[in-house]
Parts: sequence; structure tokens; C-alpha cells
Amino acid sequence: MKKICLLFALFAVSLSSCFKLDSQLFNNLKCTQYLLDNYTGTQDFILGNSYKIPDSLIHIFTLQSQGPGENSPTQIYAIYIGDISKIATDTVIMYCHGNKWNMDFYWQRAKLLANTGSKDQYGVLMVDYRGYGMSSGTPTENGMYADVNAALQWLSNNGLSNSRLIMYGFSLGTAPATMLTANPRSMVPSKLILEAPFASAATMVDDASQLDLPPSYVTTFQINNAQEIKSVKQPFFWMHGLGDTFLNWQTNGLVVYNNYQGSYKQKVLVPNANHGQVPAFDGFTKYSSDLYAFIKM
Amino acid sequence: MRKQIYKLTSFLVTCILSILLLNSCAPSRLIRPLEKGQKVIGANIGGPLFSYSGTIIPVPLSALMYAQGITDNTSVFGSIHTTSLLFGVAQTDIGVCQRLYYNDSLRLGISVNPTLNLADVFWPQTAGAFKCWPQLDLNVYWEFKPHKSFIYAGIENWFELAQQRADEQPQTTHWIFCPQAGYTYARPKWNYSIEMKFIAPNIDNLPNVVSYQGINGMGALGLYFTVIRKI
Repeated sequence: MKKICLLFALFAVSLSSCFKLDSQLFNNLKCTQYLLDNYTGTQDFILGNSYKIPDSLIHIFTLQSQGPGENSPTQIYAIYIGDISKIATDTVIMYCHGNKWNMDFYWQRAKLLANTGSKDQYGVLMVDYRGYGMSSGTPTENGMYADVNAALQWLSNNGLSNSRLIMYGFSLGTAPATMLTANPRSMVPSKLILEAPFASAATMVDDASQLDLPPSYVTTFQINNAQEIKSVKQPFFWMHGLGDTFLNWQTNGLVVYNNYQGSYKQKVLVPNANHGQVPAFDGFTKYSSDLYAFIKM
Repeated sequence: MRKQIYKLTSFLVTCILSILLLNSCAPSRLIRPLEKGQKVIGANIGGPLFSYSGTIIPVPLSALMYAQGITDNTSVFGSIHTTSLLFGVAQTDIGVCQRLYYNDSLRLGISVNPTLNLADVFWPQTAGAFKCWPQLDLNVYWEFKPHKSFIYAGIENWFELAQQRADEQPQTTHWIFCPQAGYTYARPKWNYSIEMKFIAPNIDNLPNVVSYQGINGMGALGLYFTVIRKI
């Protein structure tokens, strides 16, 4: 009997290597070059030729990202759509992409944002978080915040003023977008747009299990848009698909929207749109005009 | 190569998320009480079915268990959830299997398993992460021959006592029930069981981060295998 108990204990201890879901939740895909319009992988939508960005307005470059407490910087890749020499006088959308793959997957979205309102209207900057695409390193929550902040620092260095900075987050990207709007580092965004946000890591766990399962059972993530949004005073625009089968709009986006305590908020709920389908199901024209009106107000 | 790496990553994400989801569900520990003084150890693996690349597989949740007959009608059992251990969570279910009824001529029995499922995080240590979920299983079993192999059917009930869930939202689901059926092949030293559950048949399985295989968009079917060694 004692031997059996010992075997039980040894087996249990041998299994207890204690990993969490953190790294697994980043669905990153490495690549050796960015293909942009030549990318042939699965995409949520592909825009027509009228949205094409002239080569002269596409800039792929690297940034050095170093978060608090990190000993050395990590090299990440960024894409800027627009005229870099005019950043000081342009309005720029900082686009924080979702957890999937890399910037090639989000290229169509960036083009759509650049053409909001009219042809090549806004500058758009996006980065591949560390571990994504051609960026070095491994994805982490704090690394993601540092990477977006490195992008904001670059915009600031190029003369962008806070009043012309629009923060846009999609899905996982709503975490750095909300965090860096609520707790600014290099720049203070003037407006916040969240598409298909999740409320928190805890909500995702609870939604999945139907139980009040503590998030620490499976993750060390501290992501909590539902709390961070309470510190956001800037105007806030929330978009969510009512057919989102991944992030329930009621337990996620609506909680964030209701918790917002700032000066102005608006929402667009798109019937039947699944996760990632908001622009297409809303209609590119309506999506753009709604965004344009919000940015211009 | 890139696609293969992505597929592997995607599989890992799906698998591990699936382990997280409904990780509380396990097969019934004992259907038929042990004989007085009898001791057994066992292991089980299985979980909710989900779709991955067109293939439907059960999530490999696992646990080790020990049980002992107190009387011919009452046994006690306890378990260690080995999958939870991988996540730094100490999880156990401890309970009693009580025979409520047995008909000698029909070889038909009814048993009930009141159980406490307890869990807490040991890595990283986190305050306020202790959970206790009461559980109550009710099963009817029919033996092919007295004290031999048997089939069974029943219902597992999970109770969530919390009034609030994440982000100060109300916890609306307090009762999760799972109809179940299984077969136990009894040998002199070993028992082998297969069990099928319909987990939460009253709850939509969408939206969700995992493609659970339920029925008409509800709940998830679960498949479990158990091996028991009499000692």
C-alpha cells in the first residue's frame, strides 16, 4: 500500500511542471518577408484596387522595443502607411492587431483604415509584436505593451502630437490599445476605438467553462480591459459583431462599453458579423464613414 | 513547413484551451460500491469532444483515483487531477458512493455519489483562488451476472456556488448537468470502463473559443476511459 501511495505521489509530482496558457494564447506566425498585397493566405476580406496604397506610402522598418525591467531591447518590425515627412501634421491611427499570425493577415485592414474618409486620408502604423512575423523574441503580455509603446515613441519622434493620435485595437490588440490609452507612456491618444474587444482574461476563462473559474488556474495574464477602460477619459468607439462566436459581445464588449466613464462613447453592433467580420459585414463604406465621423468630431 | 508549424501551434492552442474548458468534468468515480474492505486504484482519461482539422477527438483530461469499501453499500474515494497539476492547480474530488437500492433477482442497483471538487492554485501562488464545487451523481446500473460486468446510466450534477463571476458580472449558471451512460467490463483484478456524457445539454456551445461537438449547438459530448486495479 505504501509503495502504491509513493507511486501516486511520484507520478503526480512528475506531472506538475506547472505551465500556463500564456504563450499558447499568442497565435503568432513567423515569416521571412512581408508580402502585403501579394499575400495569398487566408484573410478576413480582400479590398478592391481602389484601396491600393502607392508604394511610396508604404514603409517597412524596424524598431527597438524595451519594456520596463527588460535588460535589452527587442527588434520588432513595423509598417507605416503614409508620408513620414508629414507625420507632424497628419492624423495617425495606431493599429494594434489581433493575436493571429502577423501583419500580412492584417494588411487589408490597415489599408482600409488609411483610406477612411477619402483616398490615403490617414497615416496608419502597425507593428508585429515580438515573436510575430519578422519580429524577434517571444510574445508576452508586457512585451506587447512595450512594442506598441515603441511604435508610439517613433511617432512622437517624428513629430506627431497627442491630439492627432487615434488608438485602434482589434481583438487581442484591444489590450495594448486600452492599456496605453488608460496609462499613457510615450504619447497620450486622443481617441480610442475598440473592435471586438474582450473584457478580461478572467471573462474568457469564465465564458469557456461556464463556471466562476479563477483565471490564475490557467494563465498569469493580467489583461483586463473591463477595468482599464474606467481610466480612459478620451472619446471611445466600440464595434462588435453580434454573431461573434469567439468573443461573446455581451460578456465582453458590452462590459467594457458599460464600464467606460469618460466624456463620450458610441457603439456599432453589426448583425451576423463574426469575429473579424465587422468591417465587411458593416460594409466598408459605412465602416469608414462611421470611423471618419468619430475621428473628425 | 510554415503551414505545419502553424497547424501544430493551432492544435496545441486548441488542445490546451480545451483542457481548460469544462476541465471539471470527469467520469463517475464509482458506480457500484466496492465490497467491504476492498481497495482499488484507478486512472481515467478523456473529456469533451472537439473538432480539430475535421477530426473529432476527446480532450485528454486525466486523473488518478483511490477508493475503499467501508461497508458493502458504502465506499469512499478521492482523486488527483493530473492535468490540472500541469497548470499548477491542485485539484481533487473526494466523495462517497452510496448504494440506495439493489434488486437481487434483477441485478439492478441505484447509487448516488455526493462529491466535493476542490481546487487551488499552487503555482504561482494566488490569493483567493480556492474553489469548491459540490457534485452529485445519480446512477442506475444493471449487472450481467451478480458482481460482474455492468452497464449504467445516470446524471452528473455540478453546482457553482459563486454569485459573481469575472468583472463583477452576475454568475447566471449555477447548475450544470450531464446525462451519462457507460459500460464496465469487470475482470478478477482489473475493471475497464467506457463512459459517454452529454455535458451541459441546456447551454449553447457558441460563442466559445473551442469547437465543441454537442447536439444541435448545445453542450458537448464527452468520452472517458477508466482503468481500475483491485489491490
